[in-house]
Amino acid sequence: MNMLKVQPVQVGRATGREERAQAMKRKDEQQVPIIQIRGCLLVSIQTELHDRLALELKTALMERVRTLSIRGVILDVSWVEVIDSYITRILNDIGKSVRFMGAACYMVGIRPAVAMTLVEMGVELDAVSTALNLDAALEKLELRQ
Amino acid sequence: MRTVETEVGAILEGAISEITQRSIFRRLGGMARAPLQHLTTQDRQTIQAELESSVRLFAPGRSAELIAACARALALAGPPAATRAPGAPLTAGLSGTADADKRLAIESEKDIASARLEAWSEAVRIGLSKFASVKVATAVSELARNIVFYAGTGTIELHSRQEARETRLEIVAADQGTGIEPAKLDAIFAGTYRSERGLGKGLVAVQKLVDEFAIDTRPGRGTRVSCVFRGAR
Repeated sequence: MNMLKVQPVQVGRATGREERAQAMKRKDEQQVPIIQIRGCLLVSIQTELHDRLALELKTALMERVRTLSIRGVILDVSWVEVIDSYITRILNDIGKSVRFMGAACYMVGIRPAVAMTLVEMGVELDAVSTALNLDAALEKLELRQ
Repeated sequence: MRTVETEVGAILEGAISEITQRSIFRRLGGMARAPLQHLTTQDRQTIQAELESSVRLFAPGRSAELIAACARALALAGPPAATRAPGAPLTAGLSGTADADKRLAIESEKDIASARLEAWSEAVRIGLSKFASVKVATAVSELARNIVFYAGTGTIELHSRQEARETRLEIVAADQGTGIEPAKLDAIFAGTYRSERGLGKGLVAVQKLVDEFAIDTRPGRGTRVSCVFRGAR
């Protein structure tokens, strides 16, 4: 459970330089913050995903879906500038696992050029639903009850 | 210690993603981590030029404000050093549209992100559209991943050419890995092959994104993928 931090590890603008350097170093060690909001889990993907991190994220999400009776998981990819087939597979994997648990999985904030590229590559993101933004995803998840 | 990474990082936070920030700093080489007071006037100019093009590229809406803030941060660092900071190599500038050839070593997972960014900036520099540039970055990402996952190490070359009517960007990914057996290669392009890491799709995806595609692979010898993006001039 403690593999990932619950609170977002945002560093404010006003924090000291040393702290910031430390924070960057910590982030190099890789963590993806998971935020709980209105019975849903929100994950904003801002670091480069790799196998181990993806597995940790998936495990932490599933654990929380079970213990906190979560109704949906929202993956915010608005910071992700490039989604290739590897990242697609990771997102699909997370979506599938979350669905097996009985919760829904939404992806929000996909950039237009990224969406167009995915279409052209012919990759399928079939295990995650999409919503235009976070508000829309939360609305859909609330209606789902 | 105040470095470009800490000072500029604080400015760019919230405007440019962490992934991109790190790649930008990596492009600056030793200069990103050198104490600000060790940078010469020339270093600072190089850094400023590099930051300007990156900010325009990745935060177009706020570029003026961010560029000014970066310039202030560099100016506030005190008088420049007379000699270059040790281990601070000059980076290749981003300006101009002249033909260029770049060779990127792909040795670990972190090189995937740098290669992607390098290809993206190159695509923008030579005037490919925003969408085409994302396609270039995606293709390079796939190719670099294949190298890291299957061959361990390799290189990605970017060759940009301005021709009479079009702009060409050629990407060559080469490795001395185990190569791909003919039967497996057929299966990959027939869409029936799935590797453990789900990457059988990577090559097919690249093929669909690019204007020209060629692969030369020999079991035991390595693989060379060459592809071309074109843009109208």
